[in-house]
Amino acid sequence: MINTRKKQTEFFELSKLRRRFVLIMILSLFFALFSRAIYLQAMQKDFLQKEAKNRSDRHVLLHAYRGKIVDRNNNVFAVSTPVQVITANPSIFEASVKKKIKLARLLSLSRRDLEKKVQKNKKEVFLNRQLSPEKAAQVIALKIPGISSNKDYKRFYPAKEVAAHLIGFTGIDGYGLEGIELHSNKLLAGEPGYKKILKTVAGKIVDDLQDVKIPRDGQDIQLSIDKRLQYSAYRALEKAVEKHAAISGSAILLDAKTGEILAMANYPSYNPNTKGKSKDFIRNRVVTDTFEPGSTIKAISVSAALESKSTKPHNIIDTSAGYYKVGRSFVKDTHKYGKISVKEVIQKSSNIGAIIIGEKVKPKYLWNTLNNFGIGQKTGVSFPGEVGGKLMHYKNWRKTDHQSATYGYGMSTSLIQLARSYTVFANQGNIKSVSLLKAKDLTLGRRVISKKTSDEMLSMLESVVKDGTADHAKVNGYRVAGKTGTSKKVGPNGKYESNYIGSFVGIAPVSNPKFVIAVMIDTPSIGSYYGGPVAGPVFSSLMAEALKIYSIPQDGFIENNEQKREVKPDSII
Amino acid sequence: MRLNLILYVVLIFFAIATVNSEHQYRNNYSRLDIEKKTTSELRDEKTKLEVEESDKSGNLRIQTIASEKLRMYAPNKKEVKVIR
Repeated sequence: MINTRKKQTEFFELSKLRRRFVLIMILSLFFALFSRAIYLQAMQKDFLQKEAKNRSDRHVLLHAYRGKIVDRNNNVFAVSTPVQVITANPSIFEASVKKKIKLARLLSLSRRDLEKKVQKNKKEVFLNRQLSPEKAAQVIALKIPGISSNKDYKRFYPAKEVAAHLIGFTGIDGYGLEGIELHSNKLLAGEPGYKKILKTVAGKIVDDLQDVKIPRDGQDIQLSIDKRLQYSAYRALEKAVEKHAAISGSAILLDAKTGEILAMANYPSYNPNTKGKSKDFIRNRVVTDTFEPGSTIKAISVSAALESKSTKPHNIIDTSAGYYKVGRSFVKDTHKYGKISVKEVIQKSSNIGAIIIGEKVKPKYLWNTLNNFGIGQKTGVSFPGEVGGKLMHYKNWRKTDHQSATYGYGMSTSLIQLARSYTVFANQGNIKSVSLLKAKDLTLGRRVISKKTSDEMLSMLESVVKDGTADHAKVNGYRVAGKTGTSKKVGPNGKYESNYIGSFVGIAPVSNPKFVIAVMIDTPSIGSYYGGPVAGPVFSSLMAEALKIYSIPQDGFIENNEQKREVKPDSII
Repeated sequence: MRLNLILYVVLIFFAIATVNSEHQYRNNYSRLDIEKKTTSELRDEKTKLEVEESDKSGNLRIQTIASEKLRMYAPNKKEVKVIR
């Protein structure tokens, strides 16, 4: 009995030890777990929450549709078309040689390039960012692990070369890089949205977290351009540049009443749909290039003289010497015109006559008039790369600067400025602001010269086309007014070269002006280089098309016989 | 006791209503998503048609067809008669 009790006591004592041991072990484990929990919950909380979010939450970008660019009649100039972006995840990419060859062919890649792209050490890579949906479907049908396809948009330009300088293009990310695409990028692009989703590691969407920002699609932009006239301008320039083997040609057509730009073209051009655009052809020369306008400015300097009453249209100017001293050099006319009227000075484009008339106008008055006509100033069209040109302030003028300003030298202007300055003669003395967007309301002009002076000038400019230097600018059935210009180019050393820029600015129909066109041909090297025969035919062809398309009533005589045209040289220095 | 029972029934009712509302939301969200996809597809289709139209009505194409297929040309000055 005593033994039994002893045994029981020993057992309980042992058991008590075991119990304590087990209890301590359990408590230790709990303590370890509790410590770890406190460590993770309190000390590593932010880091762990961030990591968990990164692994499960995803922001899915919601694409904002880029707006279209259309012409005034809603013809498409630029539109976003769907394409597929093919991506590969190299860590799970696996394909047989046969499938790799097929895949490379569909992606327009060589097999070696494909192998390089899917190297295991890389993260997700783009294999092709602009694949057609049809080809993308074939890629997906190959069922290669790690290959996925997502929808994206690519810009397409149906007008190709014809409107390339005007519309511009976008980069691969859809951001406007040139032209209207750059100018109106903010409006066109809109604002992309996103939604927050919950994903598993395998990429399966398990919940939509409803944290959504709705994308705002870009706005469509309606230009003032008329696609038909844009095409005509491009084709006319192409013909002239090829015929005269010129470096380039540019033209701009304005609605004289509203200042809307109906066509703005350059040749040579480029196809904005293809990669690898040559930098030489990207500039929209109508707004980015300046040149000395030459004789086209005479209309403005003579306007200043008429407006200041320093001369009258019937005054006789003696140009019989055939030359005139300007500083150290002599300015000549192409012929000795003798004693001619102010009208004939414009009609024959006499440099001597222009200087004699212009000298009577005070420098301040002449400068103010040129300034009011917008010479040497940006037009406000705010096209990317637009330059203002140069018109030296009259306070800095020497006598030669004053004299050369009368016949369009010693200053630089862009073709768009020149076209805008002639809206004065088309609107009875009011200048119109130019616009690339379709006008919704009637645009008001700013008075620059009186109606009387404007009418007198328009009549003189009409005589230039009728009997003067711009025979090639005639449009059958319409009265046309305009002025030719031929100026020497300045070389890189700052000296005049024996290369020329032939230009013409004209208005039609004279009875109720509707259009103003300015044309510039840079360095014509075959045949004539004068503004009349080089730029005149481009004007004539484009103006005829514009008058026909807009059904403008005829106000002139119809010539039934094709007359052999005589080339009457315009004055050059 | 009776009040508890009423509150219990109300609780059940609101619980079912909440579940139903969530279900309706998901259904509507899913429908909205489908509609958005359809809108996008239709817009892509419209874009394709616009591009096709633009291509078919291209000035160069019309000019080529007019001159080569239909043998059209711009009348010369002798052929123009103006009726005033």
